[in-house]
Amino acid sequence: MGDRGINRLILVMLLLFIVEGTIMPWLIPAELTGRIVPHFLFVFVIFAALYSGRHRALFFGISFGFLQDIVYFGHLMGVNAFAMGLIGYYTGVLLERRRSTLLTALSVVGLGSILYDTIVYFVNMVFRITNESYAWALMDHILPSLFLQLVFALAVYVPARRLYESHLKLNPETEEE
Amino acid sequence: MLMIGLILFIAVIGFSLSDRKELTWPEKFLGDSVGFAQQWFYKPAGLVAGFFEDIRELKTLHEENEQLKLTAAAYARDKINYNFIQKENERYKELLHFTDRQKNMNNYKYVIAQVIAIDNDPYNHTMVINLGSKNGIKPNMAVTTVDGLVGLVSNVRPYTATVTPITELDDTSPTSNSIAATVLGREDSSFGIVGSYDKETDRLIMTKIAESDKMIVDDVVITSGLGNVYPRGLVIGTVETRQVGDFGLTHTATIKMAAKFDHLTEVFVVQVPDSGDE
Repeated sequence: MGDRGINRLILVMLLLFIVEGTIMPWLIPAELTGRIVPHFLFVFVIFAALYSGRHRALFFGISFGFLQDIVYFGHLMGVNAFAMGLIGYYTGVLLERRRSTLLTALSVVGLGSILYDTIVYFVNMVFRITNESYAWALMDHILPSLFLQLVFALAVYVPARRLYESHLKLNPETEEE
Repeated sequence: MLMIGLILFIAVIGFSLSDRKELTWPEKFLGDSVGFAQQWFYKPAGLVAGFFEDIRELKTLHEENEQLKLTAAAYARDKINYNFIQKENERYKELLHFTDRQKNMNNYKYVIAQVIAIDNDPYNHTMVINLGSKNGIKPNMAVTTVDGLVGLVSNVRPYTATVTPITELDDTSPTSNSIAATVLGREDSSFGIVGSYDKETDRLIMTKIAESDKMIVDDVVITSGLGNVYPRGLVIGTVETRQVGDFGLTHTATIKMAAKFDHLTEVFVVQVPDSGDE
């Protein structure tokens, strides 16, 4: 994995990670803080699953999930890594062999975001970190954040796909398992 | 494959839930290096956003100025009073043979810190500040803004630290603390415990208030310093409603928080003088 494509991808994702924690809190209006939560890295993990294969999605999901867990460690560690890795891997299993269009990519990102927030919610509920009902969580932040993820996915679809596919064209043999 | 992942995941969660005094070195290293990069982004973004906010606030500036003048006059008056009382107090402490530790107990040091990143994860609100153990920050130190209490330092790394806001308070959670609180002006007669936060109404819940307590709506709630976690005299918020509690024996109150949690840039970490037992 030592080629230039993957290095650039990792750099872009690190930058996104920093933007998520530093610039996004200023862009989101004060009334919606805590209701719209950016998961840009997750969108990139889904793109990785669609255009680069399930193993890369698993790798990205676990490593960037852990980065988030460690830097913002509050109660539990490993939740984001688990959820992102799991969803990334299984999206890859289901869809990596097909040619995904913009519409499929967007719907997968949407479904994935709901699934991701749901997993995070249930893990937190099992460990008694939260006592809210699922219906409330759904209305409070899962659905509002879904729209941010969709808009972000739409905005970065073309450059992100180019990033992943240029990397595939450079060395197509990486996809042969 | 999935089983191994699940087992690993539960092991990691179990490890993170255990009562750890300190972070492991990979956590410290990663947190600090990301923190180093984050500080180049958070503040400039804040400055740009602040500029537009300033323009909006230009209108209310005059009113605010008027009010500040009044407060400044009141402050000058009180300061003279305070100096006398402080002198007297010191003399009494001398007469009563207070030890050095007792004398310094409420002598807090406020250290200014910059917020460098915010995570708005609904189950895990945290902030990262740019002070760490090299600056004398320790876990469980209180963090405030000029308005009021914000949270507690939860994890310390050499150059950065994470802060858990008081909106994460939860009396059923295994990792949360409660705040012993009292009312400004009636510190010796009012008491309650602020133990949880209601996400749906954005209010703190204060429980275990005695029936005979004279607490009324709009009282300013401050920390009492009795819990030994939070230092005393930090403003938490104002009482908004008060009603009979779940079991009818004590009362509960909802508290509107004084500090605003969105768009924080500068916070103060309250350093309590060493109690000598560590």
